[in-house]
Amino acid sequence: MAIISLASLVLGAGPVAPGDALAVLVGEGSEEARFVLMELRLPRLAVGVTTGLALGVAGALLQAMTRNPLAEPGLLGVSAGSAFAVSLAILLGASTVTLTTLVAQAGALGGCSLVIAASRMKGLGNDPIRLVLAGATLSGLLLAMTSLLMLVDQRAADEIRFWVTGSIAGRQWSQLTTALPSLLLAGAMVVAVAQPLASLTLGERVAAGLGNHPGRIRLLVVLAVALLVGGATALAGPLVFVGLVVPFLARALAGADIRKTLWLCLPLGPSVVLLADTVSRLLAAPAELPLGVVTALIGAPVLLAIVRARRMPTL
Amino acid sequence: MTDNAFADISPETKVDRLAATELAMAHGHHRVIDALNLSLPNGKVTAIVGPNGCGKSTLLNGLARIHRPRAGAVLLDGRDILTRPSREVARKLALLPQETSAPEGMTVLDLIRFGRQPHQDWLRQWSPEDQAAVQQALEAADMAELADRALDTLSGGQRQRAWIAMSIAQQTPLLLLDEPTSALDLGHQVEVFELIRNLAGAGKTIAMVVHDLVSACRYADYLVAMKEGEIVAEGRPAEVVTPELLRSLYHITCELMEDPITGAPLLVNIQRAPESR
Amino acid sequence: MRSPMLFNRSASCTPPPGYWQCLLPGKGEGLGRNLLFNRRATLVNLALMFGLALCGITSLSLGTVNLEIQQVLQALMGNGDPVSRFVIGELRLPRLLAATLTGAGFALAGCLMQTLARNRLATPGIIGIDNAATAFAVASVVGTGISVAPPMMALAGAATATALAFGLSGASGTRGYRFIITGLGIGAIAGAMTQFMLSRVAIDDANAAYPWTVGSLNARDPLATQILAGGCLLAWPLCLMLARGLTTLQLPDAVAIGLGRRPGRIRAGCLVVSVLLTGLAVAVAGPVGMVALIAPEFARALNRAGYVPLLASALIGAIVMVLADLAGRVMLSPLEVPVGIVTALAGSPYLLWILLKRPSGHLQ
Repeated sequence: MAIISLASLVLGAGPVAPGDALAVLVGEGSEEARFVLMELRLPRLAVGVTTGLALGVAGALLQAMTRNPLAEPGLLGVSAGSAFAVSLAILLGASTVTLTTLVAQAGALGGCSLVIAASRMKGLGNDPIRLVLAGATLSGLLLAMTSLLMLVDQRAADEIRFWVTGSIAGRQWSQLTTALPSLLLAGAMVVAVAQPLASLTLGERVAAGLGNHPGRIRLLVVLAVALLVGGATALAGPLVFVGLVVPFLARALAGADIRKTLWLCLPLGPSVVLLADTVSRLLAAPAELPLGVVTALIGAPVLLAIVRARRMPTL
Repeated sequence: MTDNAFADISPETKVDRLAATELAMAHGHHRVIDALNLSLPNGKVTAIVGPNGCGKSTLLNGLARIHRPRAGAVLLDGRDILTRPSREVARKLALLPQETSAPEGMTVLDLIRFGRQPHQDWLRQWSPEDQAAVQQALEAADMAELADRALDTLSGGQRQRAWIAMSIAQQTPLLLLDEPTSALDLGHQVEVFELIRNLAGAGKTIAMVVHDLVSACRYADYLVAMKEGEIVAEGRPAEVVTPELLRSLYHITCELMEDPITGAPLLVNIQRAPESR
Repeated sequence: MRSPMLFNRSASCTPPPGYWQCLLPGKGEGLGRNLLFNRRATLVNLALMFGLALCGITSLSLGTVNLEIQQVLQALMGNGDPVSRFVIGELRLPRLLAATLTGAGFALAGCLMQTLARNRLATPGIIGIDNAATAFAVASVVGTGISVAPPMMALAGAATATALAFGLSGASGTRGYRFIITGLGIGAIAGAMTQFMLSRVAIDDANAAYPWTVGSLNARDPLATQILAGGCLLAWPLCLMLARGLTTLQLPDAVAIGLGRRPGRIRAGCLVVSVLLTGLAVAVAGPVGMVALIAPEFARALNRAGYVPLLASALIGAIVMVLADLAGRVMLSPLEVPVGIVTALAGSPYLLWILLKRPSGHLQ
């Protein structure tokens, strides 16, 4: 992960060559290079790290809770919920960053409604494909509502359209600091819920037998996911597939235990996002591909690989 | 195949309508059946038995042209079955596969009418023959009172009889059944086997893959035992079923008795045989 | 025994319950040539045609300029005042025709797809065709140097998506669920590409491309509409040919083969028609995927179990599209809400309800 972080700092489009960037890191280097590095790329790095962390962990939590390897905040409509809420906020004129974070988290909570419904209904819970289809439908619905908003206000439409693709370019420290408190709170929740969640993956009765409350666990997970995804979306726009790829890699490396998965998400999440971001900067130089596009390009094949590798239960 | 096997099957029936010659069938790269020869005796019930994975269903699917063979051929009335148009084959050969499912709410009558499709045409969608065939199928399968019921409201045995009725309505001289009674309880099993015997009595040639050896012995005239893709024995049940064969197929030891009423072999004192390799 | 009457009333051969039998002229053994009509389906279709006509007339009369029914009917026949004739002839009638054709096209494609996949959730949109067609069309609109007209690009996009979905989902073909998930993946990528293209161009181009992303009857190309009409006409005899085999697709493949049908070929035929219709319809109106889902659902609900309702789906699809367009025009007047958004808003809750309420896994 360290390597990727370094690469993210050093490489990229723009007038600063890698050599100059390295020079800055050791204390020398031109003013311009220092500016680019400190003001542009470092915050970007930090935001990327945070987003990757948040989304990766959220994805892992969802997958453990629904026992479904395809559960993912983007696919299930949680990100779309955030996006809609933020679009609504932009439409109504809000521009303070704090508000955006809170709004995004509220929207994420709404998007989680599907997840809640799914975990309660037996049929849906056992069927990964149906859950994904339901998520796609919910996302579609929220997207349509967002489009409706865009229709009503032209000025807002432009802003929304740019934001909805997902990107960590041009982010500032201030945005990060406003999002941080809620993310830390979410982090605390995750730590609290990890152990009970592990027992929940063995089944409700087992969990209850071990002295946990399935209902409470689910509530905590949902709240944590909402905070995490909302925070990430407020920072970077809705990024699909990150929450799918990161836990998948973590599980491939460490097996199915949710606690180990969560630990692995810590380095993996940011790595994936930073890698995607670096690729987005390099691939279409001197222009930049939006991060959302790159994550989709990386994530979709992973989705296919997961489906090909496993025998899915029947619909 | 010794002459004994056909001792009680008269010479006319020796001209078999359905036969496999040097048949080879495969799943992917794995050859399930190789160089298999089989003739189904006409007008009789043939049961194909064997341990799981021996290739019985694959053989039946090959005979019914569901899957193409890798080598060899299936002959229907002397000609390769694949050279005939599928509709023509469907007028001579009916198949009841293991997996049967129908759309929700479909009635028994709707299902049976499907059986008439090989005889119908784009411009000839219903005829007195169709009507008579459907009626006859309903009566033969004893489903006349249930004709308007939805399939999913029926019991397992009734549902299976409805599917067999569809095959009957097809009015084919040949009928192949893949495990017709696996999911049924004892009473329903008897129901279905007796129907099958009635059909044979009316002149149909029937081949069925049967899971349960005892039922196979009870209801079949001719037994074909398979193991690992090859036929290891065929003939009348009383002659074919020996303790050695059972040990070879199922790794069991037992003693054989003769059923006093039917003459079919009965297995008693079945025990697991020690692995002697 | 052959009676000269059109309807068969002879006692020796009665049609199966729920059917009318119609004798055709011509020689032949026994009863001679005849056709069976599903009684319930025929009545439903007649009612739907009537309903479509009603909706159509309503749609012609409402809008920014409200006309009386009388004026509408007169204008349709060529009389009446110039204003009515202009509004009807130049503006609303072509739009109504486009709505009818696209609705019918989407719905028919959806019905075929659901029958061939044995899954009531299968729609061409689910395998990413809609998104891919959109991406291709947007590419040509926003001037990335591609000079082919958007409708043709949409068709190319549809074909590409199908080919990709097949190629990537492997041997299980249309019967596996990999197909659906593969389609979701392709759809996601196509969606991302579209977003990307939109985010990089000037506001004018983005606005021009907007209807293509949500589905709208505003940016229609008359040529595309004509091609779609041609496609629908072509599809109809194809569907008739497939119809008898189509009912056997609902049964397991082994049964269908046993009855003398070729399920593989029938499925391929259905897929071709489905993709063709969807591509052409997207070329006219952009992606309005919901119609392909809800219209066949209603059609199946109105008909007997086990009946594949091709005509009913098409008619309901047309009605849905016409009504959605009407709603879009009057909902936030003078603002026009695109048809795609209206159908998504109305259809998604229904789809979610289907997905959530089924206790068992059996979806057909």
